[in-house]
Amino acid sequence: MANSLRSYLTCIRNTLDAAMCLQNFPCQEVERHNKPEVELKTSPELLLNPILICRNEAEKCLIETSINSIRVSIKVKQADELENILAKKFLRFLSMRAEAFQVLRRKPVQGYDLSFLITNYHCEDMHKHKLIDFIVQFMEDIDKEISELKLSVNTRGRLVATEFLKQFI
Amino acid sequence: MAAVAIHQFAQCITCHAWNADHSMVAFCPNNNEVHIYKLVREKWEKLHVLYKHDQIVSAIDWSLRSNKIVTASHDRNSYVWNQEGTGWVPTLVILRLNRAALCVQWSPKENKFAVGSGAKTVSICYYEQENNWWVSKRIRKKHNSSVTSVAWHPNNILIATTSTDGKCRIFSTFMKDLDTRAAGLSSSNDAKFGEQIVQLDLSFTWTFGVKWSPSGNTLAYAGHNSMIYFVDDIGPSPSAQSVAFRDLPLRDVLFVSDRMLIGVGFDCNPMVFAADERGIWSFVRFLDERKIAPSSSKYSSQFSEAFGKLYGQSKHGMTNDSLDTSRHRRGAHENCITCIVPLRNAGDAAVKRFSTSGLDGKIVIWDLDNLTDATR
Repeated sequence: MANSLRSYLTCIRNTLDAAMCLQNFPCQEVERHNKPEVELKTSPELLLNPILICRNEAEKCLIETSINSIRVSIKVKQADELENILAKKFLRFLSMRAEAFQVLRRKPVQGYDLSFLITNYHCEDMHKHKLIDFIVQFMEDIDKEISELKLSVNTRGRLVATEFLKQFI
Repeated sequence: MAAVAIHQFAQCITCHAWNADHSMVAFCPNNNEVHIYKLVREKWEKLHVLYKHDQIVSAIDWSLRSNKIVTASHDRNSYVWNQEGTGWVPTLVILRLNRAALCVQWSPKENKFAVGSGAKTVSICYYEQENNWWVSKRIRKKHNSSVTSVAWHPNNILIATTSTDGKCRIFSTFMKDLDTRAAGLSSSNDAKFGEQIVQLDLSFTWTFGVKWSPSGNTLAYAGHNSMIYFVDDIGPSPSAQSVAFRDLPLRDVLFVSDRMLIGVGFDCNPMVFAADERGIWSFVRFLDERKIAPSSSKYSSQFSEAFGKLYGQSKHGMTNDSLDTSRHRRGAHENCITCIVPLRNAGDAAVKRFSTSGLDGKIVIWDLDNLTDATR
């Protein structure tokens, strides 16, 4: 299992490395505007083919590239209802603090749990390899974080139940 | 042969240009200003700042003989700057563009310049004495997307453009008042202004950085699919070569001679391409020695570390985690190289030195003292 995660993340890392070739590009539809083309999609020739990397049905990563921006959307593994709730709450917590992350989008793309939007300005300010490291590490850690949360919820639930049921003995 | 001088001028440089004797450099520090530095006693000193544009300056070209600077900006304007006394005086260019100007280049005779724009047009500008301004004549309805770069043929008439619609086009810019028809040249010579000589449809994606070879026989441009295209015999039946390479795409190219070309781009390292005796072009090597980044990157376990990483990290990558420096490329440039400019000495046929600038804010001067060394 760990091996398949490794190759999944390596694949994403290499794809991001190739896709993150961004440049400053002013809008050709609206005067004096400069907006991420991947969001506006005004000129189809400025978009590249989106890439979907799937580990399995529940875990996938969509990379959409345009001339001046790239959008990375990820779907996190949610095996059961508890994981579903935990992931939802956790990702909501992150999305609400999207400004702190700079590259995080406030709202995920439909069908995904979390989206990053990286523009040419981010590539000018930050090192590209660190941006990629950040995203890959984020994906690696989020699974771990959720299973940890799940474990602690379960432990706590068991403890509470034991304490509660003690009175009936 | 290597980088002979590295100067960190700004946080980020969009484009730069040199004056005739390479003692002054003009560049845009990724904002609406143009800074001019002069080499005074082995040190670069800021002489002038040109304020006139109100959005980022996308291209600068410095004419060598007439000592004029032309700038193009995303604010849809372009200015020609003339040195008068101690200052630089802008002259208006009537571009009448309604989108950003993206690229600019002086013609070889320096009586015209071309501006490529996001309005899918190319404007050819010339000086009008009576009004003391530069007027433009437009080539329109030929491009289907933004014009990313323009290049003048040495004959001062033909112009090549690349565009984000993936085509490279060649136009005639013949103007009755400015140009004389040279006899005995190719058939393309009697084309009218704005006539398309040829449209090259080699790339499936955006094209950038078109350049003519010094003799004007070969044309090269880069595609965003990590390809570079060489075109010979411009005319009714051009012959093209496409060279694919394994690294990230190029943004700009430069012919150092008719048989050798330097490409710069997202790989942060100039690449050398050369033609063999039969005229077959191929990738030769990287100009900068490169260390292979160790692949065993360290992963820490806690998500919070990733969070803290972004929080604690200063915006410009001056990180506190010394672990990561091992992964870092130790080349001259640390970010995408966007601009390559020849440092041509008067009378020299081949380019011996050139400079590159990139998003890391450095201008690097490279010396090609030993041309044979580069091809090895």
